Amino acid sequence: MFVVEFLLILFLVSVFAGIFGSIVGLGGGVVVIPVLTLLLGVDVHFAIGASIVAIIGTSSGAASVYVKDKMTNLRVGMFLELATTSGAIVGAALAAYVDSAALEMIFGSILLVTLVPTVMKIGEDIPKNPELKGLSKRLALKGSYAEPDGSVVNYNATRPKTGLFGMVIAGMLSGLLGIGSGAFKVISMDVAMKLPMKVSTTTSNFMIGVTAAASAGIYFARGDVDPLIVAPVALGILIGAALGARVLVRSRNPTIRKIFAVVLAVAAVEMILAAEGIAV
Amino acid sequence: MNEVVGNVLRFGVLASSIVILVGTALLVANSGFSGISGALTYNPNQIPHGTFDVSLSGLVKGLTGFQPYSLIELGVIILLATPVSRVLISVFLFAVEGDRVYAYITAIVLALLLFSILLTPFIGVFNA
Repeated sequence: MFVVEFLLILFLVSVFAGIFGSIVGLGGGVVVIPVLTLLLGVDVHFAIGASIVAIIGTSSGAASVYVKDKMTNLRVGMFLELATTSGAIVGAALAAYVDSAALEMIFGSILLVTLVPTVMKIGEDIPKNPELKGLSKRLALKGSYAEPDGSVVNYNATRPKTGLFGMVIAGMLSGLLGIGSGAFKVISMDVAMKLPMKVSTTTSNFMIGVTAAASAGIYFARGDVDPLIVAPVALGILIGAALGARVLVRSRNPTIRKIFAVVLAVAAVEMILAAEGIAV
Repeated sequence: MNEVVGNVLRFGVLASSIVILVGTALLVANSGFSGISGALTYNPNQIPHGTFDVSLSGLVKGLTGFQPYSLIELGVIILLATPVSRVLISVFLFAVEGDRVYAYITAIVLALLLFSILLTPFIGVFNA
């Protein structure tokens, strides 16, 4: 039965996307969009509509695990969310006036460049704890979580304004291109704010859901959310995200960073290919 | 604080999965499609491709008639509502904790979110 095949393939792909998406703090669109467009021949608008649902599913599915383990830093997330939601609204308003191919080329290249600090930091477990001062201190941008061996890690965030700037860009990109831009979020928290890798990916995971919900209304109203596509995607993503979240809680930071580096490379190449007209 | 937020998320995720699953099962049961196509390409002519009824009355009508698409739509709406509810609850929880700065920050995020979800679909510049 053709319909069942279609649903099953999308479901399985989405489980896979949910597992990786929840571990690295990206929405799973990196996996779902190319499978839909390149393998199944779905129009790119429906693929982006499905990706928005996938992002929210990854975020909520994984968060129910992360909240319990106190992995996500809600203060850092809310503070940065000021920038991503405003950026997303501005981006959505500008979308019609901007050449999306040029944007994809620019940001795909930026992602490729950010591979350098990410790869250089491979092996780093817990970043050297910077002193809590200035805005970070006033806004209490700090936290703690437990590693799988039971040791408690205390951390402080640094350079909150640089992080905020990165998030404006990430938010605008979400609004302009309909992507979760989780890669930019993780990099802002990892490189600029020096948060432990797990905190960066899980906090990004929280944020992508909120930002995607902000733009969901527009895609819904445009008719880009196709029931037949989003049903198996939502179910698969929710299961995958819950699985991936359990893996993350049990993993150590260097492992998460290695997986993130691979996904980052794939995301960068996909974006550059998209600029060249290959719909991924 | 984490307890309340965790329960909301779990409820949203479970409710949405169950409703979408029921809708999908109905869709497959009702479709009665025979496997003719060899190539696995999404073809709107062969697949019961559809769009969601964006109006509230259409959704309610579909739900009372147990229409598969309406059930899936309800499930997706519940899913979309979970991050919004999480932000909404966080406003109150920060306020209860006496953390005024974060109660305000979260309230601004909520306002931006609601503006974006509820109003931008009706503003021309966002739909060009």
